[in-house]
Amino acid sequence: MSDTQWPRFEVFLQAAEGEPHQYVGSVHAPDAEMALLNARDVFVRRPHCVSLWVVPADHILAKTAQELAEKGWEEVETPTQTQTASYCVFQKREHRGTLIYVGIVNAQTPAQALRRAVELFTKHPSLVWWVFPVRLVTQSNIEERESLFEPALDKPYKQPTYYRTSAQIHQIKLTKRLPEESL
Amino acid sequence: MKTEEEKLREFEDRIARGETIEPGDWMPEGYRKQLIRMISQHAHSEIVGMLPEGAWITRAPTLHRKRVLLAKVQDEGGHGEYLYHAAETLGISREEMLNALLTGKAKYASVFNYPTRTWADVGVIGWLVDGAAILNQTMLAKCSYGPYARAMLRICAEENFHKKQGQEMVILLSQGTPAQRAMVQDAINRWWWPTLMMFGPHDTDSINSAELIRWGIKTKTNDELRQMFINQMVPELHALGLTVPDPDLRYDAETGNWISGEIDWEEFWRVIRGGGPCNKERLAARQKAHEEGRWVREALEAYAQKHTKEQIR
Repeated sequence: MSDTQWPRFEVFLQAAEGEPHQYVGSVHAPDAEMALLNARDVFVRRPHCVSLWVVPADHILAKTAQELAEKGWEEVETPTQTQTASYCVFQKREHRGTLIYVGIVNAQTPAQALRRAVELFTKHPSLVWWVFPVRLVTQSNIEERESLFEPALDKPYKQPTYYRTSAQIHQIKLTKRLPEESL
Repeated sequence: MKTEEEKLREFEDRIARGETIEPGDWMPEGYRKQLIRMISQHAHSEIVGMLPEGAWITRAPTLHRKRVLLAKVQDEGGHGEYLYHAAETLGISREEMLNALLTGKAKYASVFNYPTRTWADVGVIGWLVDGAAILNQTMLAKCSYGPYARAMLRICAEENFHKKQGQEMVILLSQGTPAQRAMVQDAINRWWWPTLMMFGPHDTDSINSAELIRWGIKTKTNDELRQMFINQMVPELHALGLTVPDPDLRYDAETGNWISGEIDWEEFWRVIRGGGPCNKERLAARQKAHEEGRWVREALEAYAQKHTKEQIR
């Protein structure tokens, strides 16, 4: 492979225990191990994160509601996958939102997994569906949680609230007895 | 089978309803092309934007300032990543975009073609340049294309501190010794007009704007954003005893607007076309970084190939 075009991995981030993983974006990396490290560097410069998942983008079956409505179901048969496997299901429910983890379905092919997901997860209308085999998820190690995610927590100067610029300007105006102009 | 016209009408109805377009949805070729252009230029701007301030990391006056500047520059690198990936969802490859940047074919925000001459420049860039970027990015966070809008939200949340830390620096310098006040005023004199140019040509000269607005990519015009910026900045600069290098600047009580003098459009186009003070230097720096980083990419690839053999798939 060319050295500027590594495979893409999609990245899912869990902000806190008990919350579902959410899709945050993607990274390029030569393998999953490096993808996790890149994902940490790209997506966890700020709090909070307790877990990262990376999944090879090529193995994600992605369909928008429009695609499903207009093109119907495409059964992509893969003879090598006749065994039942577990698939993660992600849904995007709001226009101004991202994909959120909703659960697992068992199926023999990705298309079957998607069909089952659409039948099962009916609580909310879905704008986008992603399904992929659980076995292709590489997740950050629980033991490494501290070394991966603590550095984002101890740098308060990265937060806008650390700075008091409005108060500083206000104080300067008072000292100089300048009129308060509308900003 | 729907005609292209019907598909376009439906697409524009979706935009009008405030729906978000995601990869996989139908989109007109013009939408795809405009977004690829905008997003890749935005990504290049973040990466090249690391250079003017990056030069001061080794010369920051205190450890605290060094850490803050490191964090800011690191953020810019990460923002470039968000944006390259958003562009890739539209069908352009990383290789193509990097190639365009490294061969000098790609455009990026020309504000980064100016030199950072003093430490005060770092503060002024943070307050003015990042401040201007925030106005633009806040607008784009509502754009119709999902991956771009989400990247913008993430960038806006992180960019806020960039502006604040710069503003804090300018405040401190403006209230400091005469030498510090002179240094920060000089920096403002050099960065004011390039910052105003960041908002692009006047609306009347902006060929892409109408289409971008109809397709929900832009919701405010260049001049609208520029006016917002000027109105925000001028009173605060004046409050600090600083001035803007514009002899024609005047306050219009009726509209509440600070009316700016005319931008030097000759300079604007000259710098975009490669004639700015640092265009060559920025390009050379990117090429050097790419070449000197080659061993890292090769090492990672060798490591990955070695481990592929050990993986059970």
